[in-house]
Amino acid sequence: MAKYIARRLLIAIPLLLLISIIVFLLMRAAPYDAIDAMTTPKMSEETIAAIKAQYGYDQPVWVQYFAWLGGLLQGNFGYSIVTKSSIAEQLAVRIPNTILLVLPSYLVAYVTAIVLGLVAGSHRGSRLDHVIDGIASVLIAVPSFWLAMLLIFVFGYLLRALPIVGMQTVGDGSFVDVLRHYILPFVTLTIAFLPDNLRYVRSSTITQITQDYVMVQEAFGAKRAEIMFRHVCRNVLGPVLTRLGMALPMLVTGAIITETIFSWPGVGPYFMTAIKGMDYPIVMAILILSSTLVIIGNLLADVLNALADPRIRQGGAR
Amino acid sequence: MPATNVATATVPAASDRIAASGVSRRSFVGLAGAAAAAGLLARLGISPLDATFAGAAESGGTFTYAIAGDPGSNVNPVTTNDRYGLMTLKLLFNQLFTYRADGITWYLADGYDESDDHKEFTFHLHEGVTWSDGEPFTADDVVFTYQTIQSIPTADAYSSLNYGDDGKVEVEAVDDLTVKFTFPFVNAAALEKLQGPDGVWIFPRHVYEGVTDFENNDVNARPVGTGPYTLADYQAGSYVQFAANKDYFKGAPQTDGIVFQIVTNENTGMQAIQTGQVDAWIGTAAQIQQMDIQGNGLTVTPYSENRVAYLTFNAQRVTDQRVRQALWYALDKKAIADAAALSDEYYELEYTFLPTTSEFYNPDAVQKYERDVQKATQLLADAGQTSPTFRVAYTGSDSLQTNALIVAQEQAAEAGITLELVGLESAALSQAQRDASSDYDITFGGYIMGIDPDSYADEFTSGSPSNYGHLDDPELDDLFTQGRQETDHDKRAEIYDKVQARIQDNAAFYPLYSNKRLLVTTARVSGIEDAKLIPIYTFEDYDKLRVQG
Repeated sequence: MAKYIARRLLIAIPLLLLISIIVFLLMRAAPYDAIDAMTTPKMSEETIAAIKAQYGYDQPVWVQYFAWLGGLLQGNFGYSIVTKSSIAEQLAVRIPNTILLVLPSYLVAYVTAIVLGLVAGSHRGSRLDHVIDGIASVLIAVPSFWLAMLLIFVFGYLLRALPIVGMQTVGDGSFVDVLRHYILPFVTLTIAFLPDNLRYVRSSTITQITQDYVMVQEAFGAKRAEIMFRHVCRNVLGPVLTRLGMALPMLVTGAIITETIFSWPGVGPYFMTAIKGMDYPIVMAILILSSTLVIIGNLLADVLNALADPRIRQGGAR
Repeated sequence: MPATNVATATVPAASDRIAASGVSRRSFVGLAGAAAAAGLLARLGISPLDATFAGAAESGGTFTYAIAGDPGSNVNPVTTNDRYGLMTLKLLFNQLFTYRADGITWYLADGYDESDDHKEFTFHLHEGVTWSDGEPFTADDVVFTYQTIQSIPTADAYSSLNYGDDGKVEVEAVDDLTVKFTFPFVNAAALEKLQGPDGVWIFPRHVYEGVTDFENNDVNARPVGTGPYTLADYQAGSYVQFAANKDYFKGAPQTDGIVFQIVTNENTGMQAIQTGQVDAWIGTAAQIQQMDIQGNGLTVTPYSENRVAYLTFNAQRVTDQRVRQALWYALDKKAIADAAALSDEYYELEYTFLPTTSEFYNPDAVQKYERDVQKATQLLADAGQTSPTFRVAYTGSDSLQTNALIVAQEQAAEAGITLELVGLESAALSQAQRDASSDYDITFGGYIMGIDPDSYADEFTSGSPSNYGHLDDPELDDLFTQGRQETDHDKRAEIYDKVQARIQDNAAFYPLYSNKRLLVTTARVSGIEDAKLIPIYTFEDYDKLRVQG
């Protein structure tokens, strides 16, 4: 198993390099750059040239790429071109904020999805199933920014019950204060994450329930609950577990829109601003980070799957 | 937790309303559920219908201003030139003086003497000023600041103080409280040059001596300045918090603190000001129309940033002056401005390159191009181009520009001119403007320049990177040079009359309007007049703002 993981990690390295080259080239293929975004009519030609030189824009693209890569290998994410701040410093603050928001809401959505999905799938065609599936279908069509604005309007403006901006009141870092700020983005994200998983669990439950082994179990007089928990659940949860691993990159880029709307000081607003300003060191750093997480997430998914299913485990160990 | 005090009263109030309105049983159950939920929220310390909100409930007067971007942790007095970075600098540092359309406000200097040859300017510094770390402020700091800026080409004020082959401004300390600036040539805009394009912020020698990289260092996180506030806290992506400098040399600030709250989404900002979570916010006319201004006790204060919005032909692409004039004759400036700004309280029409607030602004000296469709078609016929098509580049996300151009497009069509509108990202637009060989015939721009007409010279003189019309007019260049060197006010006025007339006659540049910025404040805020509304920073003196505790 360890060997298998090591091999998969080694394969990831050239993949990451390739991704970084593609992203770098795409960013630089744009007909304008971050300096154009910040140039004002008040700047002299000399000043613009000096700023371009400072960020290496006067060098060929491949020199710039290797300079960036060299920095990265030394653990240096570089500096924002627009705000000049250290990217590592900013991410060190923002990633935990994003995780704080995404992880609990994903887990809540995940568990809810499993429970509701199993219930709906095992009662296929019933009224309950129609209600659950109906809700999931509606929610999957609801854009998260719209939901966020709706929540802001109702709970922030009409009821004046909850704060709508940021993570805490300035000067009040108490738990209750953070919790008050937490509720609306948390609800938005939970609802955003829910329907996709719910529909997945429901449809795989339905697939499993129509399998022959269920019929055989029924023929042997097994109770419905017994069949559900001992057999169907196991088979449904395998692939669902895989989805958990694949959700790993969500921890960094899972809430970009929601964070931007609630001014949550996470990765989202930072990434959005950087893209608009063509601030390529930030875009590169976040994309490399999230693609690393995609790769690790896939690996994790396979490992989880292997752990859950002895047949795969044996295959993997060979 | 001061925010909880109203909570207990609200739930019964809600059920009272249910009884009174006679709603059906079914919706009553729903409402009762909501009321139960409200009770739960109240136990969490969450109060429905709570008017005094978290930000507002803070002790003794903190002014919270919503800003749309993160100034970052590396705001520094040398290279910072973005709006929010400059607002931060305004609180922490001082200039010697600020020079604006309505005159000079003195800060670290009390006044100056000008030599007879108009080249030497001797400033007398304010006595008894100390840095926020307790060290005394002296002429040495001023000399250090100016010389540092002169040595860093990426510094914001670098080009205001260095003139290439023509030399540079010499700075020397005469004594502890006197500084002399010597210009290499007579420059009528000297005072303005000394404050740079966005201010020269005097920084302490004892802190910055030895710093080579002004953007990434340990000093920026703990800035030492002379300003009315000191930096209390910066939370990336959340807020910048400032504490009053009780020893501020102009007197202790009226508020205990100021918070720049980062609100990235404009719709969220709209709700944040209506619920009082922030005290001040900048909106657009369209947003203000959607808001309940009176019901929420808000005040809208329009103020001018002297930002001239304009259309400009690329004169290298559209070379026939008559064709350019034809388009301007086809347009109705007022209708365009009405469409963009929604109310005539929110803009002023512009007729020359200078904003209406400039003392040299003279609309009577210029060709105004009042709408005359017949004349437009005649000019086109004379030029042999009866139905030209122009590609117009503008900032696609800017609703003001979009609305203005849609009206302009209709008007131009009446004269047989087709405007093809191409919305761009602002960075792409900025690039297109500087590139004389770009595919766009017309670009939509806007500038906030200085007070002296000479600060606009770069927009129109040949070879300058911000000459977005790509004019190449030696006579115009010469007039700008004369204006710069002339120190007699009346003679300057004559020169700038000619400049204004010449630019309008050339007809590449078409000034539209200066739209106002709309400051929305809650009822807590007062003292806006004392703090004085100014371009870019919003307030000249944040320390004069007052808020109810």
